[in-house]
Order: sequence, then structure tokens, then C-alpha cells
Amino acid sequence: MGILEEPIKEALELKNYINGEWVESKSEERWDVINPATRKVLARVPMSTKQEVLSAIEAAKEAFPEWRRTTPLARVRCLFRLRELLEKNFERLSRIQTMEHGKTIDESRGETRRGIEMVEVGAGIPSLMMGYNLEDIATAIDEYVIYQPLGVFANLAPFNFPFMVPLWYSPFAMATGNTFIVKPSPRDPISQVMLAELIEEAGFPPGVYNLVHGGAEAAQILMEHPDIKGVTFVGTTSIGREVYKKCGETCKRSIIQVSAKNFLVVMPDADIPATVAALLTSFFGNTGQRCLSGANLVIAGKDDGFYKRLLNAFVEGTSKIKVGYGLDESVQMGPMQSVDGKERALKYINIGIKEGAKSILDGRKTNISGNYPDACFVGPTIFENVTPDMTIAREEIFGPVANVIRTKDLDEAIEMANRSNYGNAAAIFTSNGKAAREFQYRVECGNIGINIGIVAPMAFFPFSGMKDSFFGVLHGQGRDAIRFFTESKVVIQRWF
Amino acid sequence: MILNTCSQVMSLANELEKKSALFYEDLAGRFPQNKELFLSLTKENDHYITQIERAYYGVITDAFEGCFAFNINSETYTLKTELAEKASYSEVLGRAIEIEEKIIKFYTEAAEQSKSLMADIPRAFRMVSKKRVNRLSVLKSLLDQGE
Repeated sequence: MGILEEPIKEALELKNYINGEWVESKSEERWDVINPATRKVLARVPMSTKQEVLSAIEAAKEAFPEWRRTTPLARVRCLFRLRELLEKNFERLSRIQTMEHGKTIDESRGETRRGIEMVEVGAGIPSLMMGYNLEDIATAIDEYVIYQPLGVFANLAPFNFPFMVPLWYSPFAMATGNTFIVKPSPRDPISQVMLAELIEEAGFPPGVYNLVHGGAEAAQILMEHPDIKGVTFVGTTSIGREVYKKCGETCKRSIIQVSAKNFLVVMPDADIPATVAALLTSFFGNTGQRCLSGANLVIAGKDDGFYKRLLNAFVEGTSKIKVGYGLDESVQMGPMQSVDGKERALKYINIGIKEGAKSILDGRKTNISGNYPDACFVGPTIFENVTPDMTIAREEIFGPVANVIRTKDLDEAIEMANRSNYGNAAAIFTSNGKAAREFQYRVECGNIGINIGIVAPMAFFPFSGMKDSFFGVLHGQGRDAIRFFTESKVVIQRWF
Repeated sequence: MILNTCSQVMSLANELEKKSALFYEDLAGRFPQNKELFLSLTKENDHYITQIERAYYGVITDAFEGCFAFNINSETYTLKTELAEKASYSEVLGRAIEIEEKIIKFYTEAAEQSKSLMADIPRAFRMVSKKRVNRLSVLKSLLDQGE
């Protein structure tokens, strides 16, 4: 046991994958992709030119008619081959995610597994894409629905799950007969490059899947281009709102999954040890950089003894979290993905202190396991005596900060959660079924956990979200994704 | 060393299986009369690694408590596999029994601690532990029988 071998030995020069070819960008602007734990440069990523983005769109558009005519069975055979290749490269993919993002190796493996599950579900398209019919809607007249692909879809991917998030969409898009362009986050695009290599090896025809690197300019082109039929985006609410507007202006479909401020409510009848393990994962897993992370820990009820027992156990567990490089198997929490991310978390910790929250654990100075620069590391932080009006209780921090809030009962906790602008996830920890049902019924959130810390829907269920956490109609994953990536055509037929 | 993460526990399971497999390989060379039995045990160990890793890699997701699932002291499970050059048959069987008891204890503890994770992982631990209990009986009966 110790530090796992790094799969990237020297800095890579990343290329675009357009029309089945690996193409070097002509852009002179390149960003360094930096391992947030070691601060070593892992790769250089180009900010692709407008022409390069346009050529990816053109390739995807050209490939669409032929791919659409390819039978669903033949299309999913490509996915089956991809699935095997992903399994074969499971560990390498996972370690690359840890290197480029900073998450622990267990978390990266979890991300890889989630990605593979999307491919597996997408491989069920021959059944999932079936339409429906009714004969004799009038005498000797039948009516039926056919689901058809639309054309080219694009994904603007986030940095926090660099490998998995594009896979929320691409297997469904391609299996239903669409073509696809992914623009990875320039902060951690390497696992996407590797995924594209495997997609190529799996035998998808040229142009069906394209990868184009870049930043906001590339995203803008994809959002505005009339040949792009739909865009999926995961990121912040402020940017997501703009993406949603832009897609509306150009009459595109969109799935916009954005920021969160998730409430985890613990009732006095909860099982403390099991709850604490779930809380640790929820608040500090992925270093708090996920839209399903716990943000506000609400301890309900007037039972002071329970409050103290739970809080002590949570603080004790948190204080033991080993922070370091995610390729060290013993590390439980990695660094923030970037210096900016760290600064943002520190800013909010300072605001919390200034606004009068009591800092029980302060992550501004943290003990890093191993000899790594502290540029991106923030330790787990717990605030007590937080009130719902405080900035730290309202705004998304996207870091390892837990705000402990006390309420007199479940009603107050639910009302508090519902006053939040966000509605991504909420969870209740209880052994009382009635309380759990009440919570599930009343809380205005897309993903509800009952004794679950991270409410991450499986590939065959939609990844929901409400209020300022989601813009759109259909969600990613599951049956929603099938509908999103297809248009329904109604046929009414009569034979004379 | 205290192991907290799934990855660490998987690595320890792998290490225990490999170390004990090498031990049985050594026995197969020393005691030709039971060569087949000992070699079959090494083969079983490979199979156990496959089963456990399949369970872990098959269900691990970012959503469960992978980094906070365990609290296992690895020093409790240090295996003594070195044998004196002239160790007797009963001595080596005694050592094998010690090794198996330790590994059973490890899997039992790991299964207990991971019971709130996805079921496949504790189930795999319990299954390997159960099979090792059978192995333990075989080793004990060999010891009872003497040479």
C-alpha cells in the first residue's frame, strides 16, 4: 500500500478528435492542465479556433444521416465494445481522474463505474427507444408514435466529474442515432481524451463522436450554431441561465444542471454511526465539489443530548479525515481542483466567521499527508450556530464546508430547505417512516435521499433537479434522456 | 496502520491472498505427498481475489461511503509466512492454521464494517471467509492425522 503508480509520466499535448481523426489545434492559446495535489503539469490543452469548432459541427452533421440509418442493434454493438474497453482500462482511467481532478482513488473508481453504467443503459436502446401504437383509432385507421433522432448534440462539461458527466448524455445520444460533440472542461480534459480514444477503438464511425477543446468561446459557438439541435450543460446557475437563454433563442433543446445548496436533515431517532459515515461522504467526498454534496446539516428537534452526540461524532469523524494526494490509498479527501476553487472556499470560510458562525473545525490550515504544496488544499470545515440567512447557508460554496443549523422540528427544517433558491438534493436521516414520507412529499428538490448522503440517481433513473438547480424540461439519464435525444413522430394510417 | 478506505482494504485483501498463496506454493515444494492439495489452495486464493475485486469494482460508486467505510488495523493481520528450513510437517500445518484464522478474522471484520455499503462487498467478504472456514477444517484434520 502507498502511492499508486501515476499513469501520466510526462506532459501531454492534447488534440481535438474530429471526424475520426486526431487533429492538432492551430490555436496558439494553450492552458496547462495541472495536477492539483502535486502541481505538476499533466498536459497542455488548446483553446480551439472557431474554425476547428465549426469543423467538428460539420463532421457531426455529415455523419448524422448515415449513423441514423445504422440499425439500433449495430449502434449499440459499438457501445458494447466501448463498455468492454472501459472495463479493460478501468484503473488507468480512474487514476487519470485522480491526477487531473484531485479526487481520491475510491472516488475516481466510483466515477468510472458510474460512467460505464451509462454506457450499459444506453446499450438497451433497441428496447428503450420503441414507440407505441393503437389500432383502430377510427374504423380501420391506426396511429403510432416513432421516436427519431434529431441530429447533432453538444455537451459542455464541468470540471468536477470530468469523466462521468459527458457520459450522462453521449451513450444515450449516440445510441438513439444522433451524433455528438463534447467540449471537456479545460481544467481536466485528459480522461475525456482517453474516452475518445476508446470510442475510436470501439469502432464508432468518423464524425459520430467528436471532441473539441476550448473555453467559453468554443461553448458560445456550440450554443449558437443552428446545426446543433441540443445542448447539455453542467455548471453554475449563473452561467447555466445564460446557456439556457441562448439555447432558447436558437430554438435548441437543453438540459441545464446547475448549482445547489443541499440540506441534510437529521432527526433525533437517526442511527448516529451510520448517519455520520453518510454525512462525511456527503459533505467532504469529492472535497465538496459536487452538486449533490451536503451543504447545510440541519439537526432537528429539541433533544440537546442527541444534538451533542451527533455533532460530537460528526466532528470527531471529520477531524480524522486524512487529506492528501488521491493516489495515496489511505487519503480520504483530496485537494480542491484548482487554486481558484480553494480561494473561493476560503472566502466563504472567512465570511462565515465574519457573520458570526462558530468555527468548530477550521480547514484554512490543514495537515496534508505527504510532502505536497498546499496551493489547492483546504481542510474539512464545520460551522456551528449557522442561521439560514447567513451567506454560507445560502450560497453555493463548492468546497468541504458543513454548516450546522438547529431547528425545533421537521416542519421548520422543511420550510427552511424550501426557502432556498436551489432544489437539487435533500436528505433526511431518520428511523421514522412517517417523517421520511413527509420530507419526501414536501421538500422541493429533484433528488431526495432517505438515509442516503449522496442522492446520485442510477443511470436508469433521471438526474432530477428543481428551482435554480435545473433549467429545462427533460433531465439527463434514464427514460428522460431517451426522450430528450429523440423527437416523437406520429403516424396515422389508413389503407384504401 | 489504520485502514479507512475501500481501496486500502482491497489492497490488504489482495496482499493477504497473495502472501498466503506463496506460502502454500512453498509447502507444495516441501511436501510432495500433499503437493496437489497445496497447489489447489493457491489456485483458490487467485479465485478469491477475483471474486472480491469483482464485487468492489462492480459496485463502487461515488455515492457510497468508500472513503469512510472501514476502521481496520492492518497490523492485526500481518502474516508470518516465513518457515525455518527444516520446519516439520506439523509445524507448517500449525502455521497454515494460524494464517487461515487471521485471514478469516480479517474478512469477518471487513464484512461487518462494510455492511452498510452495497451488499456485494460484504457478501463477497463473507463468502470467502466461509470457504476459508472449510479450508481450516481440512488443515486441522491433516494436522490431526499427522504425517
